[in-house]
Amino acid sequence: MTGTRTETIERSDFQLSTSPQHDRATARGERGRVDFSSMNTTAPVGSNPAEDAELDVSMESDVDRKARFERDAMQYVDQLYSAAMRMARNPSDAEDLVQEAYTKAFSAFHQYKPGTNLKAWLYRILTNTYINLYRKRQREPLQSHSDTIEDWQLAKAAEHTSSGLRSAEVEALDHLPDSDVKSALQSIPEDFRLAVYFSDVEGFAYKEIAEIMNTPIGTVMSRLHRGRKLLRDSLSEYAHERGLGAARGSGTSTSTGNGNTAPAKTAAASTTKEQETTK
Amino acid sequence: MSDCRNLGDCADSRIERLYEYLDGALSQQDLVDIKQHLDACPACAEEYDLERVIRSVVKRSCTEVAPDTLKADILGRINHLRTVNH
Repeated sequence: MTGTRTETIERSDFQLSTSPQHDRATARGERGRVDFSSMNTTAPVGSNPAEDAELDVSMESDVDRKARFERDAMQYVDQLYSAAMRMARNPSDAEDLVQEAYTKAFSAFHQYKPGTNLKAWLYRILTNTYINLYRKRQREPLQSHSDTIEDWQLAKAAEHTSSGLRSAEVEALDHLPDSDVKSALQSIPEDFRLAVYFSDVEGFAYKEIAEIMNTPIGTVMSRLHRGRKLLRDSLSEYAHERGLGAARGSGTSTSTGNGNTAPAKTAAASTTKEQETTK
Repeated sequence: MSDCRNLGDCADSRIERLYEYLDGALSQQDLVDIKQHLDACPACAEEYDLERVIRSVVKRSCTEVAPDTLKADILGRINHLRTVNH
């Protein structure tokens, strides 16, 4: 990993597909890098995507563009604020972050391709804004290996009805106060936390999370997997502290435990491991 | 069908299959296979329940409402941008 290579991946939120950087990235076959103008996620989330898909953005007046932005983008303020709270950790910084992200989004709105997933586009800008503004540490370089899960079929899990009796642990977790759940989520490493948040709260697909976080799908899956285990251990500890049921971590789980009984240590180790494997 | 190895060779791969199942990231046939297994295996069904509950409490707990002033502040900044740029 050379210094030059790292510089070329300076995060740019609004890269046009015609830019030299993009051509270089494409030539290298770097699927992890997806610029907004070509972002084409599977589920359009707009008020009227069919109509918008035919919109010629280049012919749009400033007034019309602003009206379209207010109509389509402003509806996600609460959701982006919720995500920003998982990033910035306090309401004031979260507000600043959302304001900054929306300002950038508006400035770049002519580069958003109507009919594609606007919410995911906004989340990507939010995430980049957070990384650039608030996160000091250098973003790890992109991987060059290709993803292998491109053509996965997406299907909803059939609602499974279990035997009926819920275990004490399930009951305990279900009754944890919101503050405990937020603290538990906050306790896991940031990249894991955001991946879990995007998946569980926003319901984004792996591919969408990969675009939002600017990482290969394999990395998203790995972050989700480890993040969920850590979150589960942390939640179990909170439940245990509150004396809610016989909570257990995944370390003592019946059929799928992994012997993990030290969440904090594991978190640090996992982060290091991921950084190693992505170099 | 109640053999847990249908989900994976080791504990780690089994729970990963459950994650993918819940994430809606499996093929239709995989979904059917896993559902059949969950119906027949109480241990895996409990794991599944636990993961499902964790997702629901995370979603429940992390849904915030932005302060009233935030939208107005954003619109104010956007209007200011337009004034500056044009």
